[in-house]
Amino acid sequence: MAAPIVATIIFVVMFILVITEKIEKHYVTLGCGLLTLIFVFGVCLRDFGAIWDTINLEAIVTPGFWHAASGESESGGIDWSTILFLAGMMVMVEGMARVGFFRWLCMRIAKLVRYKTVPIFFAFMCMSFVLAMFIDSITVILFLASITIELARLLKFKPVPMILAEIFCANLGGSATMCGDPPNIIIGTQLGYTFTDFITNTGVIAMISFVFVMGYFYLVMRKDLAGSASESDFAALPSPESAITDKPGFIINTIIFLAAVVLLVTHASTHLTVAFIGVAIAIVSLLTSGKHMLEILKKVDYKTLLFFTGLFVVVSGLEQTGVLEIIAKFIQDISGGNIYLMVGIIIWISAVASAFIDNIPFAATMVPVVKALAAASGMNIDVLAWSLAMGTDVGGSATPIGASANVVGTSAAAKAGHPIGWGTYCKKMVPATLIVLVITTIYICAVYL
Amino acid sequence: MSEQMIIAIGREYGSGGHEIGKQLAERLGVSFYDRNMLDEIAEEMNVDVENLHKYDERPRLPIISRTVRGYSNSPEEIIAEFQFDYIRKKAESGESFVVVGRCAEHVLREYKGLIAVFILGDEAEKNKRIQTVRGVSESDAASIMKRHDKTRKYYHNRHCDTKWGDSRGYDITINSSKLGLEKTVNLLVDYIKIRTGQ
Repeated sequence: MAAPIVATIIFVVMFILVITEKIEKHYVTLGCGLLTLIFVFGVCLRDFGAIWDTINLEAIVTPGFWHAASGESESGGIDWSTILFLAGMMVMVEGMARVGFFRWLCMRIAKLVRYKTVPIFFAFMCMSFVLAMFIDSITVILFLASITIELARLLKFKPVPMILAEIFCANLGGSATMCGDPPNIIIGTQLGYTFTDFITNTGVIAMISFVFVMGYFYLVMRKDLAGSASESDFAALPSPESAITDKPGFIINTIIFLAAVVLLVTHASTHLTVAFIGVAIAIVSLLTSGKHMLEILKKVDYKTLLFFTGLFVVVSGLEQTGVLEIIAKFIQDISGGNIYLMVGIIIWISAVASAFIDNIPFAATMVPVVKALAAASGMNIDVLAWSLAMGTDVGGSATPIGASANVVGTSAAAKAGHPIGWGTYCKKMVPATLIVLVITTIYICAVYL
Repeated sequence: MSEQMIIAIGREYGSGGHEIGKQLAERLGVSFYDRNMLDEIAEEMNVDVENLHKYDERPRLPIISRTVRGYSNSPEEIIAEFQFDYIRKKAESGESFVVVGRCAEHVLREYKGLIAVFILGDEAEKNKRIQTVRGVSESDAASIMKRHDKTRKYYHNRHCDTKWGDSRGYDITINSSKLGLEKTVNLLVDYIKIRTGQ
């Protein structure tokens, strides 16, 4: 009886410490993970095998971890697939950033639409959506926001509305694929989905929503997009080519990126797992970066990877002590077995929670809940998984702290002298979030139930 | 003036610290920086200063702020950094100046010419001053004072190693209610002269 209580206390303390930011969050999850191993598994359960299972290093050496057709690799504990995939993508993105890929792409597209504000607005929303399908939204927004600010200064338009639209589209684009947003990677690897599974389910919802969202943003932001620049101002803009810092490196990194996209899109048929793709891409990126290898490795966000590692251990404590089954049972009870209500609860509760708390721990906690809920109610787990993915990915857009892209985007705007308060942010983003959540709810209920 | 002199003034709301700082700058013939530094910052960045003033000397709101890879979404934190950079640049240039608030006694602690002052006051005197300056009732003055001091305390303690108003964090703390503003300025001028050997 003590084990579930201790596991819950550790989890709640972890959540509070992550929110308050008094201690760096990777220390928090690692510390709480250690406490879970010692007190939940060691002292309360006296199950030392569970400690080993949770650390889950064995999974890495199974063939199924690298090649899906070579056997089962599904296991609890630390999700090394997610961690290795994220690490690999971080290495690739750092390599691309080093050679000036993102800046070049933004400048190229702005030039392509002849530096006209409204076409830039639509083009940047599209770019944000598409890039975030394959690259982490933080990187996408960092580059887009900085170019938007630069263009706004020269073309004399207000950058804040455009940055907000880019943030929203990055989060929405991330929801479309398995590798777009960390919650999707967790859901995908833990429930055994492929890139195709995501793109044909959450991808369709995201694309339909994207059309509506573009229309909405244009309607509410069109007055702010009126620039007053003349042709002579365009001359002050740097050429896209000036963004490229290393031409051979640029070509190599572009090829690596395209190869990563192909590998991810085809991984259902090649049976290569995301862990394999992540590691392979990282190795190739590093080997081709030559003398910049160390510089790239230093830029990898190890803190996030450690944060994930500790988080998986803490969630494992909740899972193995049956706490998450209790939550699943609770959801089943309050929905009275009504599948529409169950889907509604998963989408909307996930969205509201993700708007205020980090959606990564939320998704990691909810995956076992969804599993238990599907097992207990006999409901198709896919429907619950897509509901969870859309709820967590999209809900995070509603507030400035809901998702990493929001924090980075609003921070970049503020550093350029355009602080964005909660009021300004929510006024534009909450309606957009509601539009997508309503579309998601209708789509899931109409197509899957 | 050969040696650089930086007078950093922390103050309780209603103690007249701002006015004391202004008079000190005049008497010493040096620049005076308060929230006016935001005007210059906004002009340099070519942005609307009103957007920056909203977040001046305010602490970040803990639950609704988040930091990702070193990027904070809190405008309060970012505006504070703007101001810290501004006073750092002024100090680096060798300029002598008086600065009110903005955690200057912490931000510029490396500078030999720094003199950190904290101005406090008696509750009743501060209340009277707020009533006069802002034209409010006694109870309104009390609540304004409480609110501002709370904000200043959180802002200061968020960015500094020492606690707001704790005498160990300053070179001199003085109760302006005892001498009045003018004599407090006189006393501080004398203190500064002794410190700088003038």
